[in-house]
Amino acid sequence: MSRIKLIDIASARSGDKNDVCNIGVMANDLTAYSLLKQHLTADKVKQHFGDMIKGEVVRYEWDTIESLNFVCHGALDGGASRSLRMDMLGKNFSSHLLRLEFEV
Amino acid sequence: MSKTVKIAGAQGFYGDSPMAAMNIVMENAANYLVHDALAELTLSILQKDKLRNPEEGYAKDIEVLAKVLYPAAFANGMRVVTNSGGLNPESAAERVKAILSKAGVIGIKIATITGDDVLNRLGELQEAGEELLNMDTNLAYSNSKYPPTHANVYIGAQKVKDALDQGANLILAGRVADPCLTLGILAHEFGWQLEGNLSQEQLNLLASGIAIGHLLECGGQASGGNSYAEWPMDYKVSNLGYPIAEVSADGSAIFTKLASQGGKMSRNTLREQLVYEIHDPSHYITPDVIVDLTSVEIKELAPNTVLFKGAKGKPRPEKLKLTIGQMEGYITEQFFFFSWPHAYVKSQKFIEAVKEIWSNLPVSIDRMQFDLVGINGIHGSAALEVPKEYLDNLNEIGIRVAIKHKDERTGKMAIAAITCLGLNGPPGVISIPGWGKMNRAMLSLWPTLVPRELIHEELKMHEI
Repeated sequence: MSRIKLIDIASARSGDKNDVCNIGVMANDLTAYSLLKQHLTADKVKQHFGDMIKGEVVRYEWDTIESLNFVCHGALDGGASRSLRMDMLGKNFSSHLLRLEFEV
Repeated sequence: MSKTVKIAGAQGFYGDSPMAAMNIVMENAANYLVHDALAELTLSILQKDKLRNPEEGYAKDIEVLAKVLYPAAFANGMRVVTNSGGLNPESAAERVKAILSKAGVIGIKIATITGDDVLNRLGELQEAGEELLNMDTNLAYSNSKYPPTHANVYIGAQKVKDALDQGANLILAGRVADPCLTLGILAHEFGWQLEGNLSQEQLNLLASGIAIGHLLECGGQASGGNSYAEWPMDYKVSNLGYPIAEVSADGSAIFTKLASQGGKMSRNTLREQLVYEIHDPSHYITPDVIVDLTSVEIKELAPNTVLFKGAKGKPRPEKLKLTIGQMEGYITEQFFFFSWPHAYVKSQKFIEAVKEIWSNLPVSIDRMQFDLVGINGIHGSAALEVPKEYLDNLNEIGIRVAIKHKDERTGKMAIAAITCLGLNGPPGVISIPGWGKMNRAMLSLWPTLVPRELIHEELKMHEI
């Protein structure tokens, strides 16, 4: 068993569409991508954000660019223009996800 | 060599810097400039302008661009395509015409594209049997409790193509979907058919055009801006060069940026823009084609030179997306700061006092939020816990208070009521009224679908 920090094997970018935030996670290489596919589940992402994501998290695999896309519903406090949060657009959902660690 | 067309992503949002586009014009490095000005909420901002002055309602960037950029671009034979017309493309065209005429520019065709704005047609659409079901909640629009601020349909590339076919030098469109600005250019240049029965090969071309448009529509975000993929940024961002796509008739593209400017064009920067604001990558819905992005290939050919190809298309959707903005109330926010000693404890006592004052106000606050800047301001309840010894010895801490309320009077009263804490509260509070925003409009979006045959797009040509 070893502990992997997501930031060491991937980068990420997040953005908003109404109350949905998507987080694209780009693996640094193919080995990293297979680790992500195996271990970075939608459940793990939802858990990492706790109350910040009210709805479902859906994961899409994107093999040709070694990326996973997490679509997080009910993630933006009602959407950018209704949100009382500082990060109303969810730009830093990427940052927070990169802090995730997992056992392999 | 077969024909290619060079398109620059010249603007990523309303208010973006014109400098990157200026450099592309000065080096004559593209045939087309695409300026995307309409984020999801921009139309609500433009609606406020239009209510104040019926001659406004367009993205005002064009006033600057008409002075400093368009004349030089036209002199190079470059054409400019933008949705900066916003809610008022006709007034935008009049304004640009006046500015260009004053500068002595002649022989220019300016096209406007309208028909996307259905704010005045919402009643008519409902009477015609359209319930305008909310895509998230499935409720009919008749259940909406709030007045509409704007209602615009995302329209496709056809009129962009038509305008260019007719020789437009500048297109000022309303809510043409961002990537469709680029698709319209490619359909014009390569004679791609947008409507009717399309073969798989034709659909793939349209899908490629959309994918390329998607990569260009956020300007510098595709060339090293806002990038974790290229962290720690071994390039300058103060003069970030924006993306330029050299597209071939087969729908493949070579992405570059100006060698003279900062930023970076790499497989990584394109990957991270490709994933931006995409949901199901195999089913990216646009007015002209549904795009499967899972088959794309991104290959770095040389430094700052990246090949992009391979998007696949599915027939366009039957209905178009309509977003109705709604006025729900107001948001008021303010910042306060405390220093060592006891910075954290002082922040807690301050928040406690604010809550007590607000709960005793004769007006109602619907919702309140308290953020500790430096601790959990960005990640809220998901922020990692901070060790107690760190909290006990903070150099300083910021507090942000934010409230949602129904009327402007409440916002004013709420801030006035806690101002006394400057003298009455924990020691040393720092705050300046200008740091906060009082009574920012709180808008919500009502996303729905409308049959495309009910939307009548219109193209008009102005000449100077």
